[in-house]
Amino acid sequence: MSIYKHHYRAYTGRVTPIWTRIFALARYGLAEAWSTKITAVLFVICLIPPVGFLFTIYLSNNPSARLLMGTVGTRVLAIDGSFFLRVLTIQSWLAMALASCIAPRLITLDIVDNALPILLSHSISRFGYVLGKYAALFATLSTVTWVPCLLLFAYQGYASPVPWAASNLRIGVGMLAGALIWIALISLLGLALSSWVKWRGVATGVIFAVILVPAGVGAIVTGVLHTKWGLLLNVPVMMSYLWERLLDVHNRIDNALQLPTMAIVTMLALGCCLSMVMLNTRIRAREVVRG
Amino acid sequence: MMQQADPGLREDLMRQPWALWWLQAKRLTQIELRRNLFSWRASWIYFLAFIPTLIISIHSIVDPHDPTSISDDTQMLASIVHLYYIRLGVFFGCLGIFSRLIRGEMIERSLHFYLLSPVRREVLLLSKFAAGSATALLLFVTATLANVALIYLPFGAAGRDYLFNGPGIEQLEAYVLIIVLACLGYGAVFLLLSMMFKNPTPGALLFLGWEAINPVLPSMLQKLSVASYLRHLMPVNIGVKGLIALLTVETEPVAGWVATLGLLLLITAVLLYSCYRIRTLEIRYTTE
Repeated sequence: MSIYKHHYRAYTGRVTPIWTRIFALARYGLAEAWSTKITAVLFVICLIPPVGFLFTIYLSNNPSARLLMGTVGTRVLAIDGSFFLRVLTIQSWLAMALASCIAPRLITLDIVDNALPILLSHSISRFGYVLGKYAALFATLSTVTWVPCLLLFAYQGYASPVPWAASNLRIGVGMLAGALIWIALISLLGLALSSWVKWRGVATGVIFAVILVPAGVGAIVTGVLHTKWGLLLNVPVMMSYLWERLLDVHNRIDNALQLPTMAIVTMLALGCCLSMVMLNTRIRAREVVRG
Repeated sequence: MMQQADPGLREDLMRQPWALWWLQAKRLTQIELRRNLFSWRASWIYFLAFIPTLIISIHSIVDPHDPTSISDDTQMLASIVHLYYIRLGVFFGCLGIFSRLIRGEMIERSLHFYLLSPVRREVLLLSKFAAGSATALLLFVTATLANVALIYLPFGAAGRDYLFNGPGIEQLEAYVLIIVLACLGYGAVFLLLSMMFKNPTPGALLFLGWEAINPVLPSMLQKLSVASYLRHLMPVNIGVKGLIALLTVETEPVAGWVATLGLLLLITAVLLYSCYRIRTLEIRYTTE
């Protein structure tokens, strides 16, 4: 092809810093995630339990309410590590439902519509692309996990008639760490699985299946082969153990079935590494043309 | 009037091209079966079906088999069928198989080829259901048979005696019946969901939640669940512990044939509604 115009020159103006470019992807990712009603509905559902917990904290710190409830009230309205463990567990599983809805929207459409070559032809790396999508998912999940958990912690610290927050700082830090570990894991897992499944609907199911089916397999290994190591396939159990330890809550589970923290962390890290390998294989500037 | 209407209906039914429909259904089922069973994409269903078999085979090789522990292994097998196969394996397997049959073809933009061919839509739907059911049954029933064999045969004479002269064979029949009904029940529900919704998974996950909380619901609502019928067919009581046991609403024990008939009626009703839905099914590929 002949080129007659030779006065094109490379852009010499101010260039956006590389690290800020991922925010463009994150912004568009957030807009995509929130473009459906189902995300809004799920988000509202995720915020219902914190409202209930807030009311419980209010009642717990209200002398009239405690007096009315008598001795039962002291037990039911106890605001301690177990209470916040319940908050964290419920919020984390709701976040999982939200992630299974949002993650496929962020990545599946780009892959199915062969948009990756176009996106990656811009001045953004594959790592930057994944980081942008990850940031969008991480931010959304944060609003239903550690943010409400810490707000409840802060409210308890404010409402308590005795100094509470300083002496229970372990609970707040534990909740933050537990929620961050969980959303880091499910965000990576969600993006990795979504990149491998071309049908958005199936991707949602696969995210749940990948958590629940190995849990069942792990239970079979534990039951049949009489070994506690089968529980390392059981993400819900592993996370419960981890959260209990982070919040310093004594569990009721048989000691023989306890897993070492290092083993749990190693398994979770392996899960993250596997997700990154899956993303690395799939997120490439290539186009699939079916004949 | 009734005497005149009956021969008319019979004549009408006799006049239908049953032979052609049968032939079409057979061909469609064969195509779907090949796609469901022998493609790389179907490998994950083999994993779902046979992973317990793999674990049990390790148990049969590694662990000693004292005849006194037959009851423990019986209990373990019941737990695997009830908690793994019904709740997870068959559920997710059927979700994958049956939601792909109609919605998957829409995504791949190939359903219109079927709809444009001179095949009745009901024949198309029922053939796809038959193919999906055959796939699920072949895999999960084979896995169940293998599990039972691998649990009892390593016990030697005691295991064979339990299996062929004791309650073993009745339990095996019950497990196979449970797996068959679970595959058909979940299959019918997921096929309908895949026609009703663009994304059937949230509906299926709500259904999973419904099945999970079903034991704590009033007995009337328990009838609207696949797992509640299957629970009555379990040959071994696995019992529930903890808070769930406290909340569980114990319903009247139901005879096996009543539970089977109830579930078959549920499956028939769902399939009839699916046949009604597919008559008015429209495809807009631009919105898929």
